[in-house]
Amino acid sequence: MTVLLALALGYTGLTCLALGMKRHHQELLGRKPTEARLRLFKTIGWLLLLATTAACLMLWPLGLALSMVPVLVTLVGLPLIFLLPYQPTLARHLAWALPLVAGGLAVAGLG
Amino acid sequence: MNGSLRQSMAWLHTWSGLLLGWLLVAVFVTGTSAYYREEISLWMEPELHQSTASDDTMDLAWQTLGRIAPEARSWDISLPDARNPAVQLRWQPAGEEQPRQGGGRNRGEQAWMDAGSGEVLTPRETRGGHFLYRFHFELYGVPRLWARWLICVATMFMLVAIISGVITHKKIFKDFFTFRPGKGQRSWLDAHNASAVLALPFHFMITYSGLLLFMVMLMPWGIDAAYDGDRRAFFDEAFPRSTEAPGPAGEPADMVAIGPLAAATAARFERPVSRIEVQHPNRENARIRISVEQDVAISGRRRGGSPTQVFQGSSGDLLETIEPREAPTPLMGKVYNVMTNLHLVRFADPLVRLLFFFSGLAGSAMVATGMLLWVSKRTQQLRRQQPGAALKLVNGLNMASITGLLAAIGAYFAANRVLPATLAERSSWEIRVFFLVWLTSLVHGLLRPHRRGWIEQLAVITVLWLALPFLDMVTTDSHLFSAAAWRLGALAGFDLICLLLGALWGYALWRVAKPKPDKRKPARAREPALAEGNA
Repeated sequence: MTVLLALALGYTGLTCLALGMKRHHQELLGRKPTEARLRLFKTIGWLLLLATTAACLMLWPLGLALSMVPVLVTLVGLPLIFLLPYQPTLARHLAWALPLVAGGLAVAGLG
Repeated sequence: MNGSLRQSMAWLHTWSGLLLGWLLVAVFVTGTSAYYREEISLWMEPELHQSTASDDTMDLAWQTLGRIAPEARSWDISLPDARNPAVQLRWQPAGEEQPRQGGGRNRGEQAWMDAGSGEVLTPRETRGGHFLYRFHFELYGVPRLWARWLICVATMFMLVAIISGVITHKKIFKDFFTFRPGKGQRSWLDAHNASAVLALPFHFMITYSGLLLFMVMLMPWGIDAAYDGDRRAFFDEAFPRSTEAPGPAGEPADMVAIGPLAAATAARFERPVSRIEVQHPNRENARIRISVEQDVAISGRRRGGSPTQVFQGSSGDLLETIEPREAPTPLMGKVYNVMTNLHLVRFADPLVRLLFFFSGLAGSAMVATGMLLWVSKRTQQLRRQQPGAALKLVNGLNMASITGLLAAIGAYFAANRVLPATLAERSSWEIRVFFLVWLTSLVHGLLRPHRRGWIEQLAVITVLWLALPFLDMVTTDSHLFSAAAWRLGALAGFDLICLLLGALWGYALWRVAKPKPDKRKPARAREPALAEGNA
């Protein structure tokens, strides 16, 4: 289950990075962002990608884990890119729903 | 200055990409299938599907080898695992060892055994997933060395295309998440960029490690110069391992039962036994080597490194315990191992394999979108004029290399189920079907007009891939609604992936065939379909 959590964190991280860019911020949230908000989203995005890396390190030994981070980011990034123009609302909601679901499954799997 | 560099790089990227793209799509697609070559081979040998391991499996293998190869110089038993339900038996027949054609060790005789009953199984003759795997680095029917050189050069140009593509890309970070649908050439460019930039680490790794694997194969001169032509010495230094030569066979003698020895080894290493090798079976100097599977570290190498116990065959005494350890590997050997292990996915972890499989699909989509972009750009420049011969040629080749290859692979799988099991040269016929379908799609692609051609070929591959699981139901007992398919996972997985991919081709067909207000750029709607396949 932890790999789902890693994937979900990666997805949310990338979505936050997109929200840290003016154009996508406007598309997704429908209003002009302030510089501070953009910076905030960028920071959260990078922190979440760090969390993805941490999840990979828990899943696999060091060398393999570091190789798997870009693979996971690619696999969640591609659907995100195509969700943005077609289903922006879905893309936004997935960003908070996916980690919750994956986290819930991970807890249930552990418990 | 900057502009002219970018222009020359764009030129290099366009033409190296186009000319080698046709080959690279095939390399990427068949290479992606190679992640599951054992599963594909298993699917293509339904005679092995009903085999189930039990506590008696080792004793049965012992008895069966004793019956069919009592005089052999050595036995080699590979026990069932998560990826294979049957027992593979190998043995070296008595007498002088015959050197294998083309050098290397003779692998001797081979047979499959039902793990539950001990019966010798004769699966239908097929090359299985091995054919696709081999195709991805040495094609087929071409002299091996030439083909490898060709693919090595293509791989080098892939690296060139990756680097020149990055330089050409104007706004790599600003456009990171950008996809603008419904804009013809613009959309293809976005799709190409998205799949290329996001997966750049994967593409670079797979290309560079591919070149590394070719290095030793094709350019041994550096090694030859440094080691006076003794390549073995190079490998011994880079990857040290212990070897022992077996002595002559002794007097005939009975061996002890294998069960207790295997149980002892399994208990010692706390893992199930995976392989049993016997030197001089049924002789007084018989040696039994029992190994368990070991997880490979990413910088390590499986060969020779498995935890093993060696027993005296006639008495059952423990002679040696080889601990689970990595052979000490020098730094350069480690770098080589990391790269090649990643390329070959030499890990036991099925999850990693699945993630790499999807990355491979993304890579295939990247090359394919690049080639479709080339056509889309030039079609747009036509402004309602008739396309010229060159454009028609490129489009036909695109069709053959994308939909044509998928049709050929689907037909290869279907032929495995349809061709009679007793047909002479059966495995060659499967391969002939593969190439005949591919050739037909090329001719069709060159003759049919642009949009009609795509629609027809997409329709064919949709029907073909969706039909595979149903063909399975008619011809085998291990289809989606059987216990055997789910017990083995790989078989159910194969059918499910066929359904998934078939649905994907169907979606692409629907997008292309849907009437559009602007008919000048018909093929543009495919990239969302490709993208969802990567998800």
